Amino acid sequence: MTAQIRLARFLHIVSAVWTLGLALLVFADVLGRELFLSPVPGTKELLQNSVVTITFLQIPLAIYSGSMLRTSILTDAMPAIVRRLLRTFAALLGVSLFLALMWGTWPSFWDAFRIGEYEGEGSLRVPTWPVRGAVFAMSGFAALAYGAMIWLDWRGRLVDEQEAPGALLRLED
Amino acid sequence: MGGEIVIYMLGALIVLILLGAHIGVALALCSGVGVFIMFRGNTEAAVSLMSSTAYDAIRKDVFAVVPLFVLMGDFIWRSGAAGDLYRICDRTLRRLPGRLAIATIAGNTVFAAVTGVSIASAAAFSRIAYPEMMKLGYNQTFALGAVAGSACLGMLIPPSVLLIVWAILTEMSVGALFIAGIVPGMILAGLFATYVIVAAIRNPALAPTNDRPLVDPSPEENRAELIGGFGILGLILVVIGGIWAGFFSPTEAAAMGVLAALVLGIVKGMRLGDIMESMYQAGRTTAPIMFLLITAQMYSRLIALGGGVNYIQGLFDDSALSPIMIIALMTVIWLLLGMLVDSVSIILLTVPIFAPIAIALGYDPIAFAIYGILIIEAGLLSPPFGLLVYTVRGAVPDKTATLGKIFAGAFPYFLLILVAAVIVLTFPALATWPAQALL
Repeated sequence: MTAQIRLARFLHIVSAVWTLGLALLVFADVLGRELFLSPVPGTKELLQNSVVTITFLQIPLAIYSGSMLRTSILTDAMPAIVRRLLRTFAALLGVSLFLALMWGTWPSFWDAFRIGEYEGEGSLRVPTWPVRGAVFAMSGFAALAYGAMIWLDWRGRLVDEQEAPGALLRLED
Repeated sequence: MGGEIVIYMLGALIVLILLGAHIGVALALCSGVGVFIMFRGNTEAAVSLMSSTAYDAIRKDVFAVVPLFVLMGDFIWRSGAAGDLYRICDRTLRRLPGRLAIATIAGNTVFAAVTGVSIASAAAFSRIAYPEMMKLGYNQTFALGAVAGSACLGMLIPPSVLLIVWAILTEMSVGALFIAGIVPGMILAGLFATYVIVAAIRNPALAPTNDRPLVDPSPEENRAELIGGFGILGLILVVIGGIWAGFFSPTEAAAMGVLAALVLGIVKGMRLGDIMESMYQAGRTTAPIMFLLITAQMYSRLIALGGGVNYIQGLFDDSALSPIMIIALMTVIWLLLGMLVDSVSIILLTVPIFAPIAIALGYDPIAFAIYGILIIEAGLLSPPFGLLVYTVRGAVPDKTATLGKIFAGAFPYFLLILVAAVIVLTFPALATWPAQALL
């Protein structure tokens, strides 16, 4: 269990550093364009593919840390056992969504990989399978994360009924 | 047929959300099930709508503005520059009645121009401004109201996550919507300040006059404050000025802002640990929003496939409501939703339907966007679940600051936001004219 959460945290930090890297890339691109009249080629392609990948890399930790947006207006008024059942229901919906995403993404990933699908024009051709693959793999991880949350919940190990132990970096004010 | 399915799925969505389903998950599943029913049990179509949207919904460079602006705001927040800003505003405004409350508003206005989330402002100023106001004997309700109310400026003055999300959903220019938020934001800040001055003159007990500065700063502190203050001004110049002058696209401005904020943070004493912490927390804010943006587009595609907008518009046409009544109805729905879910979710749920209807009624899309964001922001201050009120409650280091007091103190601000919203809808040029250059 802790291995999963460690992996989720690791991927989260990778994508956080990646975001800062994107800022540097755009900075170089603007600088190149304004000063040397030569923007960094492929900035746009890199940006758009990175946005999708970064988002999916961060989804598992968002699940483990209870950051997925929801409302607790009704559930807060329920007795503990109903709350737990509703949490399980919500997590099962999450499992089914991400399994459906895996199912739907696999064929397009496999085709893209097999035929070497790419996009972009001219000298810069970006293959599409890495991002499709990331969506597929991270959907699997997200489904696993929702499943793990149910398991943790029924063993009474969630912190404040919403986060997996160790998912959150706690700050001391 | 298609329109009815959209309505049923909307109903299912509301039930799921009330049962505590994660909003993004509920949006995605309802879209999938809606397509499944619409295509008479075609699982393939449903799954492929969901998975193709997951892959291409946010594959545009403009979506990078969300993580970048959130990261920039987090760097600034952690750098402590908000405190500098507050003390500078305080010293500049020494002669005004209720000056600490006004400094809170002024500080929030400027701080709003470097952060994208109201929550960050509310949390920062609860810790900085509230204790100072209490020290000078301000009325507690009055002080709490100033902190919670003026945090709303954060969502209106660019960069703002709500403006970004709205622009993306309606395929408007992010830059144009940013610029459109500036003048209404100033008007709102002006209304807030006027309220504080009038209230403080009519009832001096609310805010006892005291024209001594909070602290007499040593030259060193003075220098540190100036670095913070000028740093923030420089950032505003780069980010908003850059967009307005057409020098940067919003994505470029966001990237420049992140690096400038990082430099400011390091100058102000942030270390590697703080920087990592910032990036970690920014990611936690960003990921759920991006996931919602993906799933909201699944829902938009379902609405489009089912002709949902035309269907709902037909309902309105049949009801023979006047345009102003329809806008009033939307306003009520927004305020009610504000009691249930967060602002980003409200925009994702309603705007794909409301915006086309409002435009068909003859409202300007940009002015309507600012109107909508103002109303949704007002929802953050209204009982029973106003998010900003809870944030202030959590951040203020004082157990006697009850939710009831914060709601009461924030109520005048709630009304003023509604006033500002009506002003913008009546005089759309306030929003559209400055943005003209970018359209």
